[in-house]
Amino acid sequence: MYYSEYLKTLKQFSRRVFGKINRNITTSFPVMNYGTYLRTISIDYHIEQFLLKCSKLNEKAQIINLGCGSDLRMINLLNYNYKDQIAKFIDVDFDESIKLKDEIISNNESLKISLDASISTNKYHIAPSDLKDAGKTISMLTNVTNAKLPTLIITECVLCYMSQQDSQNLIDSIMNLYESGTWISYDPIGGGDDDMSDQKNKSHGNDRFGIIMQSNLRESRNLEMPTLMTFNSKEKYSQRWNKSVIDNKVDIKINDMWEILNHNVSTAEKKRLRDLQFLDELEELKVMQTHYILLSAEWKHAIK
Amino acid sequence: MEMTDLEDIAMQDAIEEEEGTQFKIDKENGGTANSGIMKRDLNINELDEWISYLMKCETLSENNVVQLCDLAKSILQKEENVRNVNVPVTICGDIHGQFHDLLELFKIGGPAPDTNYLFMGDYVDRGYYSVESVSLLIALKCRYPDRITILRGNHESRQITQVYGFYDECLRKYGSANVWKLFTDLFDYLPITALVDNKIFCLHGGLSPMIETIDQIRDLNRLQEVPHEGPMCDLLWSDPDDRGGWGISPRGAGFTFGQDISEQFNHTNDLELVARAHQLVMEGYAWSHGENVVTIFSAPNYCYRCGNQAAIMEVDENHNRQFLQYDPSIRPGEPSVTRKTPDYFL
Repeated sequence: MYYSEYLKTLKQFSRRVFGKINRNITTSFPVMNYGTYLRTISIDYHIEQFLLKCSKLNEKAQIINLGCGSDLRMINLLNYNYKDQIAKFIDVDFDESIKLKDEIISNNESLKISLDASISTNKYHIAPSDLKDAGKTISMLTNVTNAKLPTLIITECVLCYMSQQDSQNLIDSIMNLYESGTWISYDPIGGGDDDMSDQKNKSHGNDRFGIIMQSNLRESRNLEMPTLMTFNSKEKYSQRWNKSVIDNKVDIKINDMWEILNHNVSTAEKKRLRDLQFLDELEELKVMQTHYILLSAEWKHAIK
Repeated sequence: MEMTDLEDIAMQDAIEEEEGTQFKIDKENGGTANSGIMKRDLNINELDEWISYLMKCETLSENNVVQLCDLAKSILQKEENVRNVNVPVTICGDIHGQFHDLLELFKIGGPAPDTNYLFMGDYVDRGYYSVESVSLLIALKCRYPDRITILRGNHESRQITQVYGFYDECLRKYGSANVWKLFTDLFDYLPITALVDNKIFCLHGGLSPMIETIDQIRDLNRLQEVPHEGPMCDLLWSDPDDRGGWGISPRGAGFTFGQDISEQFNHTNDLELVARAHQLVMEGYAWSHGENVVTIFSAPNYCYRCGNQAAIMEVDENHNRQFLQYDPSIRPGEPSVTRKTPDYFL
């Protein structure tokens, strides 16, 4: 509902972007709808787990959505079940993305109403920052957040666009800033890992998903994913969070989205999905979803 | 009537069979329908012209599609539910509108009619050139009816093509749904299985708990939209599985069947092998059930992003089998290949 409102107002600001998004929504294949569903519910699930834990410990928490784009997650979070748990929700993205989002929210009646209270109390904060500049991002966050509060960081298809050095800097400095927190990251992984010890997977050998993805995106959209083939497996992807907070244990969980569909979605829910939209392309769904992962990294500094 | 004599390059046969039934073909594109018996050379010339045109990834005019589908209907309606095919033949799996890869297939397997082909369905949907691919295959079928066999896949259906792209493509390329209707009406006539030299049973999906013998398939009424359940649905939708017996298909149509089922079916029907398509397999072909079942998939880098190889299976006069694998054809700078991005989660 909020998204259709968002789209309605977006149309006034940029017909080009509106057209692109609208076309994607209306012509999406079942495989894409399944993938979007998986991505959405599994990130929501992790956010809820984080807030549930904070509520049990009776701690207030902060949520920082890095590279938020047009994500409207904050609306439900700031209005429903866990609203009292959240001390602050911060949306961060490039200057122009933030401006557009801000304009759309302030020009759409229903979005404005749903966020008014949070904005006036400074609970919802929307801030421009180029994540490539970790230093500036940290000083911005230092100003608007409390480093002592448990903090949830969300990077949903963000790190994949950054260079290895930039993403590592961002991870290190944010995990250093906040005393405790959980990082949730959703990204594609390139696959085709030579080190794969699993013989069964190896027989599926020439996994070229990542290579093809890189060249498809480069040719048609001029998009680069510099680390897609560097962090091409779950293991390699998660190494970056282990490097930070050297003296402390970081609890890392990572699954690909195919595992999540098979192990975390109930039989009844799977049946509901099948009834909603018929899915013929199971093998293709598997190829795609084994190349997308969701990571959750929990850290806590030793008390200084 | 059973078409057992497959020796002739049978346009002549087709024409002779047609005599008296008066199919109509325009002499000029867009001209008024010219009823009466065609002169066979003119007809062959015209089909050849269409084929060479289609080979360039061009679409036929709507009028020509009407004529093509009429001719195809008259040929296909004489074919049985279980079409008998002789060796040698090259057996192919899903194409899914990947026109340039279909051309690559003919490069790898040899041009028609030098090579006999058996296609196991799924010509349309997903790829960007469903119209061109299915038009070419049907034109080849009309031109060489006894050299080319085209079976029905689960995507040769009114319902599925409205979700997976063929319908939209027809609208985009012809400005109306007429061509989609012509093709999907024709799909009802496609045979659903084939039997190569009485030894290799070919079909799109897999076995059905309601079918024990091949003769039972001969009795089905196939001239209908692919049903949601029942034997015809199963033949187009089922998958082999590691688990034994029959299972509920995760696709929501058809069944999964185990090695015990395949062994029994092959034994009962005195078969060497079930050859089927329907599932993306990374090497282009995959054995299952102790070589009782083979899956063949002929769309390389499926949907322009899966990175799989494609394959076709050659069966020679002595029933020797050989798999030919291939990758997407690289055509640098070819403007006709759209650089539309395949979907990703970004």
